Amino acid sequence: MDIVIRTEGLTKYYGKTLGITDLNLEVKKGEVFGCLGPNGAGKTTTIRMLLDFIHPTRGKATIFGLDTHKDNVKIKRCVGYLPGELELYKNLKGGEFLRHFAYLRGGVDWKHVQELAERLDFDMSKPIRSLSSGNKHKVGLIQAFMHKPELLILDEPTVGLDPLMQQEFYQMVHEAKEQGQTLFISSHILPEVERICDRVGFIRRGKLIEVEDVSDLKKHAFRQIEIHFAGSVPKEEFENLSVVRDVMVEDSVLRFTVAGPLDAVIKAAAKFEVVNVISHEPNLEDIFLTYYGGDENAAS
Amino acid sequence: MILFAFFICAFFPTIQESAAELETYMANMPEALIAAFGGTGSNIASPEGYLNVEFFSMMLPMMFIIYAIGFGGGVIAGEEEAGTLDLLLANPIPRWRVLLEKFLAMVGGITILSFMSWLGLVAGIYVYNMNIGLGQLAAATFSSALLSFSFGVIALAVSCLTGRRGISMGIATALAVGTYLLYVLAQVAKSLEKYQKLSPFYYHLAPDPLANGLKLGDMAFFIGTIVVFLAISFIAFQRRDLAV
Repeated sequence: MDIVIRTEGLTKYYGKTLGITDLNLEVKKGEVFGCLGPNGAGKTTTIRMLLDFIHPTRGKATIFGLDTHKDNVKIKRCVGYLPGELELYKNLKGGEFLRHFAYLRGGVDWKHVQELAERLDFDMSKPIRSLSSGNKHKVGLIQAFMHKPELLILDEPTVGLDPLMQQEFYQMVHEAKEQGQTLFISSHILPEVERICDRVGFIRRGKLIEVEDVSDLKKHAFRQIEIHFAGSVPKEEFENLSVVRDVMVEDSVLRFTVAGPLDAVIKAAAKFEVVNVISHEPNLEDIFLTYYGGDENAAS
Repeated sequence: MILFAFFICAFFPTIQESAAELETYMANMPEALIAAFGGTGSNIASPEGYLNVEFFSMMLPMMFIIYAIGFGGGVIAGEEEAGTLDLLLANPIPRWRVLLEKFLAMVGGITILSFMSWLGLVAGIYVYNMNIGLGQLAAATFSSALLSFSFGVIALAVSCLTGRRGISMGIATALAVGTYLLYVLAQVAKSLEKYQKLSPFYYHLAPDPLANGLKLGDMAFFIGTIVVFLAISFIAFQRRDLAV
């Protein structure tokens, strides 16, 4: 399979502060690759190196087999980019900004821009300075998608989008993938990555900890679940189930962590009168700690 | 700018009328102050002397310098600080071309500004009967523009090196003020005389382009300065990590 992005020992220090260290990564053609990690983990640093805005301290990266520094102009012809901290020319209208960028890039089909704007329900005639952050974000998305690039690099693409637009964006990702485009997406939201990505790289404190297929991730994805009962329940009923951990009972409330299918738990709970079930998505730190042992004991 | 240059000329008749008074006044002024106003014993009652004192020695270069430094300091660093540079450079455009286009915009800006000020002067000398050749005016305006543009390119170079608008404008402004003082003080202080040629103002003020036209050597100094700092800009901008 073709490799679109390849990094070899890619490392960036800002002075002595670490950006990212020894990143070895391969993104395959046609896949949606998620780069998951908390803020400040090194996702944006990686993306900005791929686009040659900053230069690696060590190591190198290639996109389409071309060197990201030497051939950056050639690469950028086929890349759409959405920055994490999007800023636009405030004195232009949305449409003027997009026209300017379409002109700079060249070969953009303006009809496609209009389609995208319609799709995202974006009014191009409004001045950018009057736009909400969600609407500015739409300008960012449109300019990233407008030339139908082979590779899309999107840094935190859904921040600031309302839920409806998020769904629309997920659909755009889906369609891009169907058309054979490759996507590299950074995010700090696990459910989002699970939803739209094929593979996920976990980044924490400047290190790539693990790369995993999302289908595998889902198998051992865990949640914290709270079940409220009408009366008190015996702890033993749940403690011995193989999929649960950390079982706690306080009167009528059962709390536990579950990894894998919920079936056994639900059947056990059904013996009692259930009032409410609450499921908490795990936060990233918990996932890192549970599955990858964190930094401190990463070797073990 | 046209109007400003025109109105400078408008005051010439008044100045001429009180020429005698002014000359006694000037005679009593300390030498350094006269130097600071650009007069090297030149006659303020003559059209050349008047325009030199009122316009070409300080007012026009100052306005041009403010414009050029603001422009030069802002083009790269301004966009970097505003956070739009990433998006701009995500287009398939090499950094050097972005810089070249910004530089050409600077050249265009100062050219238009110079032309407007020249037009104003031409109108002024026509209306107020000042006997100066249009070529002389063009020479002095051009010399002022080149002097100012040099400081603009210095600001551009610092902006490319640091990505900080404030710093680049500050350094270029400090240089402009400093080298102006150096020139003026060297007019009167013998000990500074040998450093006078370090000041860009020397190449604009000393040859008196309004009276004598442009000299190749002086222009070469400015163009050399511009080329050197432009080269620094290109090298620095090409290599530097851009700020978020």
